[in-house]
Amino acid sequence: MKQTLIVFVQDNPGVLNRISSHIRRRNFNIESLVAGRTERKEITRMTVVLNEPDKTKQRTVVNSLKELIDVYDVIDATEIDSHIREYALVKVALKKDDLGAVNKIVESVHGKIIDGTGDATIFELTGYEKEVEAVIEALQKYDILEIVRSGKVAMVAGNNSKHQPELTKSEPNWTTSRILESY
Amino acid sequence: MKKRILTGAEIIWECIIREGVDVVFGYPGGTILPTYDALNNYRDKIHHVLVRHEQGATHMADGYARASGKVGVAMATSGPGATNMVTGLATAKLDSIPIVCITGQVPRAAIGTDAFQEIDIYGTVIPVTKHSYLVMDINNLASTIKEAFAVARSGRPGPVLIDIPKDVQNDTIEFVYPDEPVRLPGNNRPLEASEKHIQDAADLINNAKKPVILAGHGIFLSGACQEIIQLAETASIPIGWTLLGSGSVPASHPLNMGMMGMHGEFAVNNAIQDADLLIACGMRFDDRVTGNVKTYSPNSKKIHIEIDPSEINKNVPVDVGIPCDLRTAMKQLLPHVSRKQNKEWIKTISGWQSESSERDIINIQTDTLYGAQVIRDIWKETNGDALIVTDVGQHQMLEAQYYAHEEPNTLLTSGGLGTMGFSLPAAIGASFYRQKKDIWVIVGDGSIQMTITELATAVQENANINIAIINNGYLGMVRQWQQLFYDARYAETPISSPDYLKIAEAYGLPGFRVDKRQEIPGVIHKVKEIKGPVLVEFVVEQHDMVYPMVPAGADLNDMVSRPKNKQFQETLKSRSPSL
Repeated sequence: MKQTLIVFVQDNPGVLNRISSHIRRRNFNIESLVAGRTERKEITRMTVVLNEPDKTKQRTVVNSLKELIDVYDVIDATEIDSHIREYALVKVALKKDDLGAVNKIVESVHGKIIDGTGDATIFELTGYEKEVEAVIEALQKYDILEIVRSGKVAMVAGNNSKHQPELTKSEPNWTTSRILESY
Repeated sequence: MKKRILTGAEIIWECIIREGVDVVFGYPGGTILPTYDALNNYRDKIHHVLVRHEQGATHMADGYARASGKVGVAMATSGPGATNMVTGLATAKLDSIPIVCITGQVPRAAIGTDAFQEIDIYGTVIPVTKHSYLVMDINNLASTIKEAFAVARSGRPGPVLIDIPKDVQNDTIEFVYPDEPVRLPGNNRPLEASEKHIQDAADLINNAKKPVILAGHGIFLSGACQEIIQLAETASIPIGWTLLGSGSVPASHPLNMGMMGMHGEFAVNNAIQDADLLIACGMRFDDRVTGNVKTYSPNSKKIHIEIDPSEINKNVPVDVGIPCDLRTAMKQLLPHVSRKQNKEWIKTISGWQSESSERDIINIQTDTLYGAQVIRDIWKETNGDALIVTDVGQHQMLEAQYYAHEEPNTLLTSGGLGTMGFSLPAAIGASFYRQKKDIWVIVGDGSIQMTITELATAVQENANINIAIINNGYLGMVRQWQQLFYDARYAETPISSPDYLKIAEAYGLPGFRVDKRQEIPGVIHKVKEIKGPVLVEFVVEQHDMVYPMVPAGADLNDMVSRPKNKQFQETLKSRSPSL
């Protein structure tokens, strides 16, 4: 099963590098990683989808991401009620006669034509992964020129405090000065 | 108040002095020049040690940090200066050692242009540091340095790198030291364990019949030595330790069993496999201590107390995982632990212990000198009271087996990364703090040649260190693996050495050579009289092995033992003189 993580980080240059490097060094494949601004200026939110089936490794990556200095918190949305959605653009070379049929397919996921002027038509699709995949599958019989997918963004359902990230800063606990005390 | 206009370079020194730093290990170069120039104004507060290679600087800062509990500081220029620090940073990362490395960077406008001696060190060190910084604005310089030190020494400690472009060092600003405390994002580690965790742990301990304490490096880092011993004594629990946990319990303590793992004591590994409860304290179940994880201590419940939650359930699944400060948890736990005796269990373990002493090389008479004998005799002649810095290889394991440490933190060694070349520079670093103790570097002939350049630093600083080179003419540990697992095909493990007495003479330090056991006490006494660095070469048996040994990936109690002494002496007799 795919693992979906919501990672809250400080908006610092290089933070994306840090997160991806941390995941990469455990040899996990990142299926998608989307970063963007949030309701708070200094916090960037990432949705990371990973292809690691091993539960122990899944837990380890969550816990070790939390240890990174730039990371506020990590929510593992895999097994909690959440909405994991994506956006795609599909460019199709359409014959006039096919337009109606294609429109029907696309409208099933509230997709729409965003550019129908030239010699190719661009559709916009949004939805859960399954929906987007189904539409793309249905479009296969037409002449697809290009597909671009945004990668997934996730939001946990409801307002359960158990699934709220901790977005505060705090003073670290000191420990190493204690080495001296052990002499 | 009068305004103080300072350069970035001056701010660097002002800030690190406020962190309690009085010695910096470094090497100047193009992009760090402004900071070295400013050093001239801070000579009264900072002693700078000129190293001979930047890797040496990082190991010195590391050795200083291990010995002192303070943050070690290393400094280098951009490009090759910075990349030479990578091994030292990784060494500190794997062993959770707080060091701060400051590197110069090409001026901001040149960043990204492949300028002379430009390398993206900030990006390069991401996997080998706890955190790294690139300071692009002098306004952030002081707060960044303050944060870097806080990051290095807090929670699970680790190395931090700060990269500072040359023009930021040259910029000027009105200097105001940031008074507000450092605040970092995220779930800060709680000091205390939850009551439920403590109760669960106490229940397991009170019901255990065959418990074992596994003592790791975290015991020093959290200052929990006394509490661990108290726990052991209250509930009569024998203690085995990891390599970096050496000294966490006095060697002579009746509940001390010795080292665990690949070259650990037979009795300790047996005890772990046979235990009904493991209490893992400040350790991380590294593959070198577990052997085959699938068969590791199959019948035991496991308690794991560790500051880094990502270590819990990572390698070995546990029943009670407590992510918090070890000493605080111990203080919470102790009142709940009932006093008892595990007489049967202790008796079983002593049985295993006597079995292994029949195989001990130090008790037999031989014509050639053995590495283990050298280490045992150094122990004897230093009354077990020296600070030992070891390198990586057979001598490192022999030290852990034969130098009985009575005090905490008296062995400094690269455990996690296993960095050859660590010991000489780390000992130089340690010598700036631990001046009261004799410092002995125990190093192989392979390892010493990796960072032998730092002999010049030792002489220049008149560092009070004694260097014992255990010379067996081989990369001994690798040769041992070749003998056991590659049919003794010694590919590239025989290694020649320079004449170490001439090396000593050339670098300007006294040198001795020993090849007979009876000469050892005399030489050690001579060495003790000499202030400053001394080199002693011990020429030892070439084909000796470190026993016992758990082959990589084997079950922990599936150990290869040294032949019993009687048998061993017969093989010695029958052996051709060329060996």
